[in-house]
Amino acid sequence: MKTVKNESSKGSPRPAHVLQKSRLWLMYPPRLITTPVVWQLGQKHKVITNVRQASVTDEIGIVCLELEGRRADIKAAIRWMTNLGISVEPVEINIIES
Amino acid sequence: MDKNTGFMKALKCRECGREYPLEATHVCEFDFGPLEVVYDYDRIKHSLTRAVIKSRPQSMWRYRELLPVAGEPTVGCQVGYTPLVKADRLAKRLGIRELWVKNDTVNYPTLSFKDRVVSVALSRARELGFSTVACASTGNLANSVAANAAAAGLKAYVFIPSDLEQGKVVNSLVYGAHVIGIRGHYDEVNRLCAEIAGKYGWAFVNVNMRPYYAEGSKSMGFEILEQLGWTVPQHTVVCMASGSLLTKIHKSYQEFMKLGIVAESRYKVHGAQATGCSPISTAQKAGLDFFKPVKPNTIAKSLAIGTPADGFYALKVMKETGGAAEDVTDDEVREGIKLLAETEGIFAETAGGVTVGVAKKLIASGHIPQDASAVLCITGNGLKTLDAIAGHVGQTREIKPSLREFEALLDKENKLINA
Repeated sequence: MKTVKNESSKGSPRPAHVLQKSRLWLMYPPRLITTPVVWQLGQKHKVITNVRQASVTDEIGIVCLELEGRRADIKAAIRWMTNLGISVEPVEINIIES
Repeated sequence: MDKNTGFMKALKCRECGREYPLEATHVCEFDFGPLEVVYDYDRIKHSLTRAVIKSRPQSMWRYRELLPVAGEPTVGCQVGYTPLVKADRLAKRLGIRELWVKNDTVNYPTLSFKDRVVSVALSRARELGFSTVACASTGNLANSVAANAAAAGLKAYVFIPSDLEQGKVVNSLVYGAHVIGIRGHYDEVNRLCAEIAGKYGWAFVNVNMRPYYAEGSKSMGFEILEQLGWTVPQHTVVCMASGSLLTKIHKSYQEFMKLGIVAESRYKVHGAQATGCSPISTAQKAGLDFFKPVKPNTIAKSLAIGTPADGFYALKVMKETGGAAEDVTDDEVREGIKLLAETEGIFAETAGGVTVGVAKKLIASGHIPQDASAVLCITGNGLKTLDAIAGHVGQTREIKPSLREFEALLDKENKLINA
């Protein structure tokens, strides 16, 4: 079952099987720029990937990605990317301010 | 004025330009670009004049048509209008003709410029019907949300890394805020905060309220223009964490020029970072329009954002205005703090030391000419970062309760000075 977040669901625990969306900025180091990371991500993890913006130069790859899946699968996907050496930030980037 | 929207027109994506209603939302659904408030400048032009501004109380709200609230502000009504100090002694030391210090070390109530952004975010949050506000912070923002929420009778949740120094935690706890320490690496804490912000129906000041929150920084720029006698400074030096403040100072200058409140002028906005966390200044110096994330390692904790959300836009502003960027080492930060304190009697936190240190470098390198006039934006009070300079500002000399000992000490010190 797919649910959409709304006011009434806010603040209550979400059942494990419910799908959720996560909006992320990925920043690739130069050595990964030519690697098909998003494709690999979809192969290795049960998540739906949806690229919204991307900018690739010789020095950095920046991808704005939406992931949809179960919370545990999204967390595993993020862990896999960070272990590869990709910087994974929420779409807001730096939420923790001084 | 529309009672539901004031002089605001919409929220607009900074990337694709799509417009959204004036709600608690911050990201474009199409490309996830950040949203920004757009105003009805034609209407504002008829309401906001120099005379109107001067007739109002001395707070940041004297420019309220250009701040994102629909009605009268209800939180932080005394915030802002901090002194613009003519810093002749510092100017002499830095080798520049004219220098001004915009002194937000004395901003009300929590002694940093964050009170500006928080009072806007909380005023707007109330208008939108929120009763709980929140933030994720390691210092100034947490203190400001806690204090302003307390004064407004709002419930506040403050998320902090669990290893934060006790002094900073006390500065939020004292106001009765719910302070939640999160164990883990910065990135994990950051992502959890994003998840919490998305899941709970609260006004998260720097997440879903961010379009409104960020606009509060403009008030610092408006005040500079008014306090300089309705003129635009040739050079403004601004410290950069996320880079937001620099972009909003620029926006404030642009808005006053657009409305005819100040004359069209050329000006440069310069950015300041600490070398231990300098993604934006490194990119600017290399001529890039993008930055590479870094792992922060600096005593300037309030600027320690390795992946600055507004870094791209800050680079754009510096390019457009012809501004430069520089960074300074931790030792130079301490020297900057001491120099500002010893010459002007202003005790700034580490971010202020960064700004002074960078200004010194920019003047020495000619990016700010010696015959020019400049404003330094000093954003927070030194009492908040005592640890950073403890042991670096000399020490007390102890004597017995004896006049003879005191005179002997004076004699010794005078000989040292004259040697």
